[in-house]
Amino acid sequence: MTDLAVEPSPARRHGGEGWRTAARGVGQLLITMGVLILLFVVYELWGTGFYTQAQQHKLETTIEQQWRGGSAPDVSTLPVDNVPLGTGIAVLFVPRLGQHYHFVVVEGTGFSDLQRGPGHYPGTALPGQVGNFAVAGHRTTYEHPFKDIAKLRRGDYIVLETKEHWFTYRIQDIPGTNIPWKEIVAPTAVQVAYPVPDQPDPAKAPTLKLLTFTSCHPEYSARERYVIHAILVADNVKPELPRALTTKPRS
Amino acid sequence: MYVWIWRRLPGGIPGKLLGCLILLFAVLVLLFKLVFPWAEKRLPFNDVTVDPTTRTSTPSPAATP
Repeated sequence: MTDLAVEPSPARRHGGEGWRTAARGVGQLLITMGVLILLFVVYELWGTGFYTQAQQHKLETTIEQQWRGGSAPDVSTLPVDNVPLGTGIAVLFVPRLGQHYHFVVVEGTGFSDLQRGPGHYPGTALPGQVGNFAVAGHRTTYEHPFKDIAKLRRGDYIVLETKEHWFTYRIQDIPGTNIPWKEIVAPTAVQVAYPVPDQPDPAKAPTLKLLTFTSCHPEYSARERYVIHAILVADNVKPELPRALTTKPRS
Repeated sequence: MYVWIWRRLPGGIPGKLLGCLILLFAVLVLLFKLVFPWAEKRLPFNDVTVDPTTRTSTPSPAATP
């Protein structure tokens, strides 16, 4: 019975193995968590785009049917509070972002609206109307309609197709106001989407036909908002095409 | 954990490999369909609107200063 102290007991040997199992478990857990986070990034940057693509396809089909159907009035003649959330209201073209760049703009800036495409701030002017047609769009996820918002320059055109019109807006400092063509603001800076942007009174009566884009900034972050302002420069009644779409953007 | 799962999968090496693939697929579906959509709503990466509260669903800047 004297060798009991020398020989390691089965219980102690088991204890050592327990530590090894625990260490291995922790290691596997950490690797698993790393893989999970990577998968989440893949989902956000790439996976979410599939959903938007499918939704955009549906929206396009619906809006084309509505336009061809005849009875519905052009969106530019509607009162601003008369558009159901989540429906397509116009098709957006930005020649600077590519010949094939187009998105159906949906009504609403809720999470589920923006999952489907760039979203129109409810209550702001509709395309072609006096006031501010304000649109928010994703920059990194959900097919990132505004991924290249920072490539837009002063003088670039933004075109909106409605049932009967092509509305062409030009990105520029808005004449007679302090509204710049581009600004980077805090996420709480709602005044960029006011009918008369960048002044304190949300009820101030607008006289100009403006357009505003908002997206997150810096890219892959949500610390600030990237904002673009533009003013209506042409209203072509179909079938006449807008010049901005038939000519190449200046380099 | 993975060793524990591997030991419990039936059907020899081919069966175990098949079991692994099925489990992996199930986990991925669960993550992409349920877990990630749930998680992203709680994270700020998708905030692109200007909004006085920064995290409400439908801001209407014309109405709320």
